[in-house]
Amino acid sequence: MAKLPVSVDKIIEKHGPHKAYAPQTGFQGNKEPDKLVKTHCCYCGMQCGIKLKVKDNKIAGFEPWEEFPFNEGRLCPKGVMRYMQNNHPDRLMDPVERVEGKGFKPVDWEHAMGRTVNEIKRIQEKYGKDAFAMLSGVSLTNEKSYMIGKFARVALKTANLDYNGRLCMVSAGGGNKKAFGLDRTSNSWADLKHAEVILIAGANVSETFPTLTHYIWQARDNGAKLIVVDPRMIPLARTADLHLPVRPGGDSALFGAILKIMVDNDWLDHDFIDNHTTGFQDTIDAVKDYDLDWAEEHTGISKDLIYQAAEMWGKANTSFLLHARGIEHHTKGVENVLSCINIVLASGRIGRPYCGYGTITGQGNGQGGREHGHKCDQLPGNRDITNPEHRKYISEVWGIDEKDMPGKGLSAYEQIEAIHRGEIKGMISICFNPLVSLPNNNFVREALEKLEFYVCIDTFLSETARHADIVMAGSLHEEEEGTVTTAEGRVVKINEAITPPKNTRRDGEIIMELAARLGEKDKFDFATSEDIFNELRVASKGGTADYYGITYKKVVDNMGIFWPCKTLDDPGTPRLWEDKKFATADQKAHFNPVSYRPASEMPNKEFPVVLTTGRVVSQYLSGSSTRRIGKLIDQYPEPLLEIHPKLAFQYGIENHDLIKVKTRRGEAEFPAHVVETIREDTVFIPYHWGGKHSANQLTIDNLDPVSKIPEFKVCACQLEKTGQKGSQHLTDTAYQSSL
Amino acid sequence: MFRLFKTLNRLALIKATIAAVLTIALVLIGSRNLQNFDPALIAYLIGTVFAIFGIAYRYSVWIQRPPTKLYWRRSMQFLFSKYFFPYLWRSTKLFFRNILFQRFIAYRSRTRWFGHFMLATGCLLAFAITVPLTFGWIHFVLKPGDETTYYALLFGFEAGSFSLGSPLAFIAFHGLVWCSVLVTIGAVMMMKRRFTDGGLIATQSFENDWLPLILLIAISVTGLGISYDYTFLEGKTYQFMAVTHAITVVLFLVWLPFGKFFHIYQRLAQLGANLYKTEGKRRGMATCPHTGKEFATQTHINDLKKVSKELGFNYDKEGGRNHMDLSPEGKRSALATAHLKARKEGGKLFG
Amino acid sequence: MPETNYDQEMAFFVDMQRCIGCHACEMACAECETNGQESMIHVNYVDREKSPQTTVQVCMHCEDPTCANVCPADAIHQDEFGVVHSANTSRCIGCSNCVLACPFGVPKKMEEAELMMKCNMCYDRTSAGKKPMCATVCPSQALFFGTKEEIERMRPDSEPVNSFLFGQQEVNTKVNVMMPKGTHQLIIP
Repeated sequence: MAKLPVSVDKIIEKHGPHKAYAPQTGFQGNKEPDKLVKTHCCYCGMQCGIKLKVKDNKIAGFEPWEEFPFNEGRLCPKGVMRYMQNNHPDRLMDPVERVEGKGFKPVDWEHAMGRTVNEIKRIQEKYGKDAFAMLSGVSLTNEKSYMIGKFARVALKTANLDYNGRLCMVSAGGGNKKAFGLDRTSNSWADLKHAEVILIAGANVSETFPTLTHYIWQARDNGAKLIVVDPRMIPLARTADLHLPVRPGGDSALFGAILKIMVDNDWLDHDFIDNHTTGFQDTIDAVKDYDLDWAEEHTGISKDLIYQAAEMWGKANTSFLLHARGIEHHTKGVENVLSCINIVLASGRIGRPYCGYGTITGQGNGQGGREHGHKCDQLPGNRDITNPEHRKYISEVWGIDEKDMPGKGLSAYEQIEAIHRGEIKGMISICFNPLVSLPNNNFVREALEKLEFYVCIDTFLSETARHADIVMAGSLHEEEEGTVTTAEGRVVKINEAITPPKNTRRDGEIIMELAARLGEKDKFDFATSEDIFNELRVASKGGTADYYGITYKKVVDNMGIFWPCKTLDDPGTPRLWEDKKFATADQKAHFNPVSYRPASEMPNKEFPVVLTTGRVVSQYLSGSSTRRIGKLIDQYPEPLLEIHPKLAFQYGIENHDLIKVKTRRGEAEFPAHVVETIREDTVFIPYHWGGKHSANQLTIDNLDPVSKIPEFKVCACQLEKTGQKGSQHLTDTAYQSSL
Repeated sequence: MFRLFKTLNRLALIKATIAAVLTIALVLIGSRNLQNFDPALIAYLIGTVFAIFGIAYRYSVWIQRPPTKLYWRRSMQFLFSKYFFPYLWRSTKLFFRNILFQRFIAYRSRTRWFGHFMLATGCLLAFAITVPLTFGWIHFVLKPGDETTYYALLFGFEAGSFSLGSPLAFIAFHGLVWCSVLVTIGAVMMMKRRFTDGGLIATQSFENDWLPLILLIAISVTGLGISYDYTFLEGKTYQFMAVTHAITVVLFLVWLPFGKFFHIYQRLAQLGANLYKTEGKRRGMATCPHTGKEFATQTHINDLKKVSKELGFNYDKEGGRNHMDLSPEGKRSALATAHLKARKEGGKLFG
Repeated sequence: MPETNYDQEMAFFVDMQRCIGCHACEMACAECETNGQESMIHVNYVDREKSPQTTVQVCMHCEDPTCANVCPADAIHQDEFGVVHSANTSRCIGCSNCVLACPFGVPKKMEEAELMMKCNMCYDRTSAGKKPMCATVCPSQALFFGTKEEIERMRPDSEPVNSFLFGQQEVNTKVNVMMPKGTHQLIIP
């Protein structure tokens, strides 16, 4: 029974989201804090260093941390406002329980734990172990990610554990494993500085990873050419040397065409291809018909631009290719990624200074969280749960019988489908707000409503948590020590600045107690986060993501260590593949043939417009925390429908008109934002909002067959004028309804 | 910066002299040829006359500056127009709200308003009591045969009486005590801010921010000292208290025209600025050619163009345009547009 | 009275073309203690319908500030380092002359408080030898605070320019704008 206990308005009234602002003269103690705690921002994969001001066990403000090598004090607006998630009036201060007709009432921990464990046991006894699933998230530290992987398999004994990285960059991970046998950005960002050409595909760097901008601008100061592939003229594209406004879904066609031009002009590194790669011939055979006319037709980019980009890329001596969700959120996400890797391998520009490639992972611990057993098919050290040797090693580390180790489970969206089929009856989630972040979220809501028992660990009552039977009041980023791995593969230290408020608990403690009550106390007997990390080090040893040589002390002393780091005297590996020995079985990089295929839902007469989604700079993911910070909301209060004036003209749409957007899955209304900075055939809506403001009511839930990433970036829609003007200034901008 | 401010100003000198002479004349008239003047207050009188001279001089110089002059002229022009009564009413309301009660400060910070209100009320009341006494305009006498009734003489005319020991007498004779208490509370509150507020700590100066507060506290404390002395110490320390009080007050009076306290007189201009905006709105708004939005009154823009030219700034552009026709946002965009163009013409946006 | 540690070797450099419009500077500006949660920096779209171009504007700290000249209340003070301070709160009468006269569109009128406020180059930080908040956090380094040598080394093809021509009026400033090499003035037509 996971329906809302009372009307959504009542829940919002009590639990928010409400806008919070600092007092006019700053928080008490802002001027004379008790201490400054060096830690990191919680809001993206850059993991910028920041110093939090602490006064009387509360966060009173921040100070830039100028010594931290990646960001040297630089921050984005979310980073500056990061400290505002603390002291927030919406914070859950106790565990709460759903009471039909009443809402959520505070309960004591004994009750919350007792009922949860009883329900887990009841459901598992009745329907089988796998009927109780777990969803997790990668804003959690490495320690928590690792422990949750172990918790699900050892204590919960379910195969169905997955995480929100499934909607982040799993397709990049899949592509990287196929090509390199290892899933990490191949270089530290420092290698951007002197790259001659930087190609950025589907990564709105200036809004989603603002602090990475400095590295790109620095490269340009040093003469780098910048190529941006994006359907919109994002801030980064405005001044780029080339902006390729690709039609959503046309990425692999573009990179296939570029590869063909490289081959035709012999802009290839034959030595590298011959000695260090496999699959080249099949790969170029796959693109042999992708001439410029074909490419123009399938990418929506003019021939001229495609050729110029290919030439710029082909002739460069050093280069860096970056991509992110723009090419990854597709039913051919892995293919898109492989098409990028193909042009990198063809150029031979990898494993050398200023020659790099990588995905820019989005979430706070998007890198580390995807390495240590958080995924339905994975064990620590980025091991494979279906590989007998891997299973054996981890079972030994965990002290269990290999036969008791569950097998491969369902991925995040497949779990939702399994709930609908009645295979999953109970769920525990942490750090995940699927009701906002998963596609076709009306379907997700219906699934939540079908659960017999749903328990959620969170700091705020998120849109998803509103459907829970029990919500356990967990800890904020600044309330628990640990490590995270940044998007460049640097393991950094998160420090506990304050202790959690009285009746809330550290996430780690909650997981450990649940494990103990499920009868596995001895396997979750960690006194400190460092103890967990030390077990993780052993568990990851010998895996591709090898952390064995990393210790807390080393991390602190060096302000971060790049994995792989195999021994205690290993300084870490900022740049991969310098020895040209790849992590594949044959130690070669693998070309993978990619044939272009269209997106799963292409526009037609009935649904003639392409809908794509993305982010804005002032919000983070599902907004569970950032949609509560006043100044961030004020910067961009509500999602707008970006539309080109020519398309707008066809429908008679003017700026601020309220437009109904319909897809085969749902409909929602958004004010129009008429701008020339988007393709004429495409509209864009940012996805951070829930309820009736949610863009994910519209998106399609088709998954990439390999990585199971949903196709957030392309679906077909129709537009309809409502005749009303959209609100330019909402009276209650924090309002997010569920229905 | 103060281009017109460097040499002695003749006009101001004349005006200040007139003001000082007029004051002396009024003292003579009001005190009935010094008959009602208390010789003990001579130092205060000299100080006050100097202060009046100084304030008149400074005010006159100030008002000659083109922007101030314009505001002054416009305020008078707009006030004495066919909207005299509504504008007078508006100004009176604002006088109470913003000058006497300083409500606008509450929007900067509430405690700060409270502190300032205490300080200002104490000072203004004290002025209202001491100036007429010093000038001999008010004088208290006992009539022969009646040892218990005080008669107040205003400009030599009898203007009321009260009996010794009555509550009215207590309030009247202790008026300055109340003022001192208000000033002290206010000054301490303002001082506390200056100790704790990081922004103030960075920007304050001793002579402009601390000295006035110290002076006010010194005046209040020594004034209270006199009162304490004759109430509880039977005049044992009278000499000391009286002399230090006189010194601090005279210092204050001499300082009045030059330092921070000049803002008391300046503040009245806020009424003029408000009137200027009200009348300007009636006359019509200026629209920014860049944003297409109204952003100020056209009168204001036109006046500013003129005033800035008088001050040696010429923002005229080709085609009869002027940079000041743009709203602040329009100006920022114009700069960015020009910069982008220059960058593009330079061939490189980076490097 | 305040002990000042203002480092005159350090200077402010702006390059609006690097600005990505993220508003980090604006959020950070409000953390500066001289302006109590109010932001003094301006970030705005130039013409959003056509382009995502944004501009970022700090006070340029003019050598002969128009704002101070047109102030009827003598409320704007330029200190010995050339920093043009926010209006003296006791003097400012809230007339908006400075707001409308500043050629860069910098001062802000706080309507209710009858007070003009503007960027004072984070005087609480710069006078203590620290960098201004906005330039410290700016992720694109459209705002840079450092020495002239540093910026010349980092951006060898650009030239710091501190002279502007608005129609007939030349304005020289303490803050620099990064321009193509060999440029000596930014002309605003």
